[in-house]
Amino acid sequence: MPRALVIVGAMVFILFAIAGLMAAVYALAALLPSAGRLPQIVVLMLVFVMVIASLLTIAERKWSAMIQDRIGPNRARIDLPLLRDRPLGGVPHLAADALKMLFKEDFVPKRANNFLFNLAPILAFGPVFALFAIIPVGPTLKLMGRDVPMVIATPDFGVLFLFAIASLAVYGTSLAGWSSNNKLALLGGVRASSQMIAYEVALGLSLVGMMIAFSTVQVPQMLEGQARYLWQFSRDFDFGLPAWGIFLQPVGLVLFFAAAFAETKRTPFDLPEGDSEIIGYFVEYSGMKFGMFMISEFVEVVVLAGVTTALFFGGYHLPFGEQWLARQEPFASSPWLLGAILGTVFWIKVIVLCWLQLAIRWTFPRFRYDQIQSLGWKMLLPAGLLNVFITGALVLWDPSLRAIAVVGLIEIAIVAALTARGTEEHPAKIASPGASTPDAAALTAASRAGHG
Amino acid sequence: MAYDASRDPRQDVRERIYLPELIRGLAVTTRHFLRNLFGQRDTNVNVLNRKGTSLVTTVQYPEERVPYPPGYRGLHRLVPREDGKPRCVACYMCATVCPAQCIYIEAGEYDPGDPAAESRVIEKFPTTFVIDELRCIVCGFCVEACPKDAIRMDTTKHAPSEYTREGFVYDIPKLLQGPSVSHPSDPWNRRDGSKPPAHQEFEPHARISKP
Repeated sequence: MPRALVIVGAMVFILFAIAGLMAAVYALAALLPSAGRLPQIVVLMLVFVMVIASLLTIAERKWSAMIQDRIGPNRARIDLPLLRDRPLGGVPHLAADALKMLFKEDFVPKRANNFLFNLAPILAFGPVFALFAIIPVGPTLKLMGRDVPMVIATPDFGVLFLFAIASLAVYGTSLAGWSSNNKLALLGGVRASSQMIAYEVALGLSLVGMMIAFSTVQVPQMLEGQARYLWQFSRDFDFGLPAWGIFLQPVGLVLFFAAAFAETKRTPFDLPEGDSEIIGYFVEYSGMKFGMFMISEFVEVVVLAGVTTALFFGGYHLPFGEQWLARQEPFASSPWLLGAILGTVFWIKVIVLCWLQLAIRWTFPRFRYDQIQSLGWKMLLPAGLLNVFITGALVLWDPSLRAIAVVGLIEIAIVAALTARGTEEHPAKIASPGASTPDAAALTAASRAGHG
Repeated sequence: MAYDASRDPRQDVRERIYLPELIRGLAVTTRHFLRNLFGQRDTNVNVLNRKGTSLVTTVQYPEERVPYPPGYRGLHRLVPREDGKPRCVACYMCATVCPAQCIYIEAGEYDPGDPAAESRVIEKFPTTFVIDELRCIVCGFCVEACPKDAIRMDTTKHAPSEYTREGFVYDIPKLLQGPSVSHPSDPWNRRDGSKPPAHQEFEPHARISKP
């Protein structure tokens, strides 16, 4: 069977699995009213987030291999009759890695602060994991006579929860660096804390524009706002430009993505780890404690993808046709079907954004430390402030959000035009029309003449 | 998309803004990713001749092997005669020339009174022929020194695996392998009334293994 067919088949299988799980969690939440939001907590956080995060550990190795024209991990096999000769995309390596981490020696360095040394992985993992609580994965549906929300918590302070908890994660890294009794680990911890502080400010400012635009700090309300259309071209089948954050706040998106990327400590900003020169704040950790740091990094990737999806890419909303779809027959009578589909849409967006983060990690070289600081303080922070002022002024001038959408679209168009402009308009080449296309024959002839 | 080194990045607005160049870089990696994700991998071991959509150039070693060049020096073998005994006549040339002194030979002698035809054309044979493969430096001098074409390094095997050091000391049963070799100049072929072997045209240095 051709490889492309296998890949597409696997993708379709994954989509159906996601849709089935989403339907299951709606059914569970509707059938167990006394359980509160326990089904959502279990399925969304323990199943979805943890499974995606642990699969990302393999995906990082496999996708980076594909980006670098390698094959990647494919040696771990399952010793069963039909599976023996199949690498299964490297997924069995997950079990191999987990077993290795569980059975490795749990090493604590001499004169390390034992309590803090053991506390640090928990502090690194916990807050990151808790971040996902405010992300709505699917719409709130009326099932069996009561509202079933598909979000774990809807606190009044909304997005502020994100800032508060995300900044707690730095305690894990800096404590790990300090308590290891290791100079390199301490260096990594110090780098982590200063980088986090630098990007915390930009992270906060980058979302202020969205809060102004939708005049709320709660994620579900922001999602309701993004479900509207700025310009709707067709009545029956609703088609138009949705009020997604990426169209309203492209600058905010870039700032948020950059700042949150710095918070995840992944490659363009992986100074705290610094694989090549200092091993990083977790240099002394082994076994599952190191595994906690590693899995928390990937949970951060998933959570960042989820937050970006919810705030800037319309969350679980389809870009068009959602209201039309809700009026169609199988969905109008059984809303859980629509909920499962919209939840799948959310997870598709999350997976695409996870892929984007991994692609960024394998595309860009690391910044120097001073470049990180100057990017954070001199570029992102002023840009964030400017974005807040411009957004505020535009929303005051035009509360229908069309004005900031126009500005946002112009910004996107400028970046797209600059990106698409080819290298052939290069000034040096235009300046020398005589030797515009020096082909190989002419070059060899010229060199021969020079030698003769 | 080769990078133009004559371009000054400080004067380029795309480099200054940084974002467009990031997107272009992502486009490069994405193209590689998609080609390698959906593309069929060509498993031709000659990597330069691969035609598949996938850009992967890996040769997956145990399953796919690059053929060795003709002069490759692999593990030794004692070349058998057509009757299965080693061609070696225990002349000690290889053991003498070996710079690592890894060859140990004990010679035996045919009884001149033996009525077998062999004993009238060959005087000696090895009773013990041992190569310590751990000491061997794979220089190939033994192959060059052998006057009887009795030791070769054409097994294309390398890095054999053993659990003990003793396992690397190869004796005659381990060394005597591969296709047998016969030359018209061999004494048992020069006997009265013997016919020249069919592969005479390949004399004297051609490999018998590929007629």
